Amino acid sequence: MGHGHWDDNAYAAAKTFRAAKGEDDFGYTADLRSKPAKEWKVAPALDPLNAVRECRDSADHSDSTPIAVLFDVTGSMRRVPRIMQGKLGKLHGLLKRRGYLADPQVLFGAIGDADSDRVPLQVGQFESDNRMDEQLRTMFLEGGGGGQKSESYELAAYFMARHVVTDAWQNRGRKGYLFIIGDELNKPALEARHIRRVIGDDVREDIDPASVYRELARKWHVYFVLPNQSSYYNDPQIGEHWSELLGQNFLKLDDPGAVCELIAATIGLEERVVDVDRALADLADVGSVAESKAVGKALAKLGTKSVVTSAVPEAGGPSDVVLR
Amino acid sequence: MTLLDGHVVVVGLGFGDEGKGAVVDALCAARPTTAVVRFNGGAQAAHNVVVDGRHHTFSQFGAGTFAGVPTHLSRFVLVEPFALAAEARRLEAVGVRNPLSLLSVDGRALLTTPFHIHANRAREEARGVNRHGSCGKGIGETVWYSLLPGAAPGDVVESQEVIGTPGEAPTVADCARPSVLRRKLDALARFYAPLATPPHSVDELVALYRDFAGAVRITDGDETGRLADSGRLVFEGAQGALLDQFHGFHPHTTWSTTTPHNARTLLGGRPHTVVGVTRTYLTRHGAGPLPTESAAVLARFPEAHNEIGEFQGAWRAGHLDAALLDYAIAACDGVDALAVTHLDATGLKVVPRDGSPAVDLPDPLAWFGARLPVAVMGYGPDRAGYRVAEARSTINA
Repeated sequence: MGHGHWDDNAYAAAKTFRAAKGEDDFGYTADLRSKPAKEWKVAPALDPLNAVRECRDSADHSDSTPIAVLFDVTGSMRRVPRIMQGKLGKLHGLLKRRGYLADPQVLFGAIGDADSDRVPLQVGQFESDNRMDEQLRTMFLEGGGGGQKSESYELAAYFMARHVVTDAWQNRGRKGYLFIIGDELNKPALEARHIRRVIGDDVREDIDPASVYRELARKWHVYFVLPNQSSYYNDPQIGEHWSELLGQNFLKLDDPGAVCELIAATIGLEERVVDVDRALADLADVGSVAESKAVGKALAKLGTKSVVTSAVPEAGGPSDVVLR
Repeated sequence: MTLLDGHVVVVGLGFGDEGKGAVVDALCAARPTTAVVRFNGGAQAAHNVVVDGRHHTFSQFGAGTFAGVPTHLSRFVLVEPFALAAEARRLEAVGVRNPLSLLSVDGRALLTTPFHIHANRAREEARGVNRHGSCGKGIGETVWYSLLPGAAPGDVVESQEVIGTPGEAPTVADCARPSVLRRKLDALARFYAPLATPPHSVDELVALYRDFAGAVRITDGDETGRLADSGRLVFEGAQGALLDQFHGFHPHTTWSTTTPHNARTLLGGRPHTVVGVTRTYLTRHGAGPLPTESAAVLARFPEAHNEIGEFQGAWRAGHLDAALLDYAIAACDGVDALAVTHLDATGLKVVPRDGSPAVDLPDPLAWFGARLPVAVMGYGPDRAGYRVAEARSTINA
């Protein structure tokens, strides 16, 4: 992975032609929904079973930075991938043209509920060209989940910790960016049977979700974004839960339409390329004036963070694929 | 019945920017029209139309779109899907609903791809100060590549060296045949690799062009003939007769037949009226001769919609030139009537014959009318400023 270039024109043209044909941007979802539920399954390209995702440098992209965006796709959260799809060009343009990152590579994933969904986890591949649009559109927006105020975020976190290899980390000791976008709690435990069924690892004991996030934080800047569209937006339990796991990296976002902008601004800030004011001005420049307000609010506490550092590779060289 | 009730062919009599778009729009708004047929050029056309405060620079869509008239892109047109999609979005933004549904394209029309565009720009950049004034949109490159089958590396075709092994030129019909298209694009990529490589993979283009083929109606056979038999057509020329590939001043020409000849071929002997469009003064973009060029004219008539193109160069202006006008009309093998635009310009001058000084032109309509009937008269790009002749007596007045 990692070859090729994102092209706004091609992305926009494809979208225009699909719209003229009357095709849904999320055609895979539309196809599956017309079939009985027992036939619903993850698209092969997004299946996490026995999979490893790689973010590699290439001749075109010698300084690749992995950006993983995993959405909760239950219920009303399905809007978020649609918003992302509409603004992908903007995300990429901001990161690249504004110099936030030289070689962003983006992976999309979708998170459901391993207890009740047919497709509880989907994870694409890191892409630097228009295939990132394609993998996003191939997601199945199952929209299940079930009222217990928790989704299988920890299952996704486990996959990202154990099944992703990045040159950024291996060669340069640089962390990648992981954004989890959702509105509920982790499950009380990461169940071994779900890991075996969905990811394929032979794990025999249930795992404490907090330990998964600790492991994950070694190689990733991990953020949880809670967009305002659910009844849980003002539920203090959600905020406490995620703040305990991720500290300041729990972000509340007033306007779910600004999630793409929030990701770009957060990266600009974390990379120390811009301060909050500059990031918001950049957003306004690319036409996201309304969104920049919501982003500004969400980032208020990040902007005052004292020190931001990348992890330093361990003595003896960068660690290998599998984390302990 | 007047000259304008039947099929009308609109051609520019200058170096482009005469006002063809506004004239086509006025003709479509004035009479029931079945379709606007584009008969030359490609995505480099820029025809400004303003209707009720809505402005669009028509490029591949016909300038009758605001009048609700569908567009047919004939086999003589070069089609660039990226630009077409962008134009469709701009049209939607100014209130045209599902513009792509208004479009049909002859399957034989050549495709302009990113390979052509990047090669065009690489060549023009290498020319430095000797630029041809190309728009950088791959038009000439598309035509040139289509002439190559049978040529070998090192051959010279149309005074340009063949840099690799050429394949067949991709056409619009290929967009619906992914395996054929892939083969042709692979050949194109290999051919142009020494000159320029666009950022797109062949896979990506095949997928995109297939979406394009699904979004527009692709026709085969004599679609223009079928349309012509079902109602009135307006043929919209691009560029101007003075840029014509055979009659223009080399190398500052476009690789396109800008005279009415393609339209006549498409009409297959059906009766029609040729309307030649001219401003009350001369303009041109970029390099090339403009004998009556005058800084004073340029200063008096600033352009709202014609900007300086990165590859095309500066916007220039000069006095009317009787010799050039007669030359352009002759290049068209005659025109039946004139459309005169920018009649709001004052203080005009004309150079009545080669070598003469410019003389005042207080009544441009009378001057043009003495040569040919004036069928359409107007101002800038706004439809409100146009008048279309109502009856033959008016035309001959």
